[in-house]
Amino acid sequence: MEHNRSPYPDAVTFQGPRMLGICSLTSSHRNTSLLVLVTSMTYLVAGFTAKKLLRSVVSQGLVKLNWGMLCLLMNTSAADLPTKYDLFFRIQLAINVQIPVEYGGLGGKAVYIDTEGSFMVERVYQIAEGCIRDILEHFPHSHEKSSSGQKQLQPEHFLADIYYFRICSYTEQIAVINYLEKFLGEHKDVRIVVIDNVTFHFRQDFEDLALRTRVLSGLSLKLMKIAKTYNLAVVLLNQVTTKFTEGSFQLTLALGDSWSHSCTNRLILYWNGNERYAHLDKSPSLPVASAPYAVTGKGIRDAVSSHHKRARVT
Amino acid sequence: MRPPAPSAASSSSYSQREPRPENPLLLLPSSRVTKLSLGCPLLDRLLSGGLPAASVTEIAGESATGKTQLCLQLALLAPQSPLSASSLFLHSDLPFPLHRLRRLAPKSRPDILDHVLVAAAHSPTDLLSLLARAQRLLANPGRSPHRLPIRLILLDSVASLFRADFDASPADLRRRSALFFQISAKLKELAYRHQCVVVVTNQVVDVLEGGAGNTVAWSSGRRVSPALGIAWANCVNTRLFLTREVDRDGASGGARRRMKVAFAPHLPERYCEFVIRRDGVFGVEPAERLERLECAGGLRSSYIYQHH
Repeated sequence: MEHNRSPYPDAVTFQGPRMLGICSLTSSHRNTSLLVLVTSMTYLVAGFTAKKLLRSVVSQGLVKLNWGMLCLLMNTSAADLPTKYDLFFRIQLAINVQIPVEYGGLGGKAVYIDTEGSFMVERVYQIAEGCIRDILEHFPHSHEKSSSGQKQLQPEHFLADIYYFRICSYTEQIAVINYLEKFLGEHKDVRIVVIDNVTFHFRQDFEDLALRTRVLSGLSLKLMKIAKTYNLAVVLLNQVTTKFTEGSFQLTLALGDSWSHSCTNRLILYWNGNERYAHLDKSPSLPVASAPYAVTGKGIRDAVSSHHKRARVT
Repeated sequence: MRPPAPSAASSSSYSQREPRPENPLLLLPSSRVTKLSLGCPLLDRLLSGGLPAASVTEIAGESATGKTQLCLQLALLAPQSPLSASSLFLHSDLPFPLHRLRRLAPKSRPDILDHVLVAAAHSPTDLLSLLARAQRLLANPGRSPHRLPIRLILLDSVASLFRADFDASPADLRRRSALFFQISAKLKELAYRHQCVVVVTNQVVDVLEGGAGNTVAWSSGRRVSPALGIAWANCVNTRLFLTREVDRDGASGGARRRMKVAFAPHLPERYCEFVIRRDGVFGVEPAERLERLECAGGLRSSYIYQHH
């Protein structure tokens, strides 16, 4: 394992990268892309110049995204009901974005917009603690070097760097997203905006469906603009619903096809038997890929794959 | 920074000038009471302290698994707990089990039934208007000075509200799920604005095939899943699944009951065994179960079968 100590390290890699949620940002350097890849046990930060980006090989399991919106979809296999563990993705992202730069993170803040009330502070605290433990485990030598960085490694600091908005109706949702532009202008260190369940409040009875479509596309345009102007990642969460087409019920994205066009990237989370999988479904630059993951006390981590287990037993 | 307090809340919305972010540090449980204990340390341990406020918890199970019992127990615990609250019990299964509530009430506090407000809902639109009234009541607590503020809302059997009136046609299902979201949004708003604990009970349906993980369980020898489908599952924050297995040991002929966390934003998936006794629902360690069953004996077995 080699570490680069520059603020934008060229490549800091660890073993076994498996991809989960990804956000990518453009830093102030026009040529440099900072990619924060949230891997299971490992955190990868790769800085590439634009040329390198073109030439870089997408290694097995690594996924890169350009700036834009990452739409996290929760999908299920055939007759399953959704799990609630997509929540941990969002929280994991909000925590990971704050990893200080010395340790390979972004050292940024997060905005979390909660429409459903699933943001449980005690769980966020647990995930922050797990993240810190893992950082200290992987960087055992750096304590002496960056004392200021280490002081920041307290779960309370991670929590304090999340700007949390709770909204209770669709009008509030529109208001918050309008307000975000002003807010982000004042808080330039925000690197990620996570919207928990962007469609929840729009699934009630809307008498005028055309109005709903207009409002939603307006929202998605605003979010795209925010992502571009402030160089941050916007992560949206959505749910699945059953759609009645051609005489059968199918699982599909809530609020329909028009909404699904507004995302740049889509990651689908689903159950496969007893394992959880993340599947990259739509991306401008990456191949379709799947990776298993597990939810542990510390947050989202690599899944110990089943054949792995078998090998250990025998 | 906290959102400005709602000023003279109107019946339909709360006014707020500009959105303000809240600091999650302020929401840490140590800073204020945010959980309602179930009255039993084992069950509380399963739930990491109890039922969370500002959140909708669903209790799903077959009939006679203890859902209503648990709700009644919570309604009686609320005034005595640190939450110190009245409860609002909305029931759609008629009639309200008043005699059971009376029996559960502790003798030391005869006034405790004053803190349980009951209302009947006959249909989803009925429920929505009841919730609007509840919103006014919660926003203006000054009206009844002798009562504790309402911090617990119980809805017994959301599934029975939707039993009639809806066929399986796609249009009706869409209409039905639109109502789920309306009801859930209202409940969540009440939960958040007034820091209430909201508990909703649900029934189960049989599952023939498919389904995995946390949504399907075995209860009384059948594979069951909570009613109302995916749409409703997206509307609740936490789901507790109560199951019942007839005891094969035959030591007491009783049932093995389990409370399982199907999903929750703050809990791992795990379960706890419990028993229903005359004085309420209590968790047990698997080893103790047999002893407790023997002590409770005749009273208990005659008690479980008097369900709604």
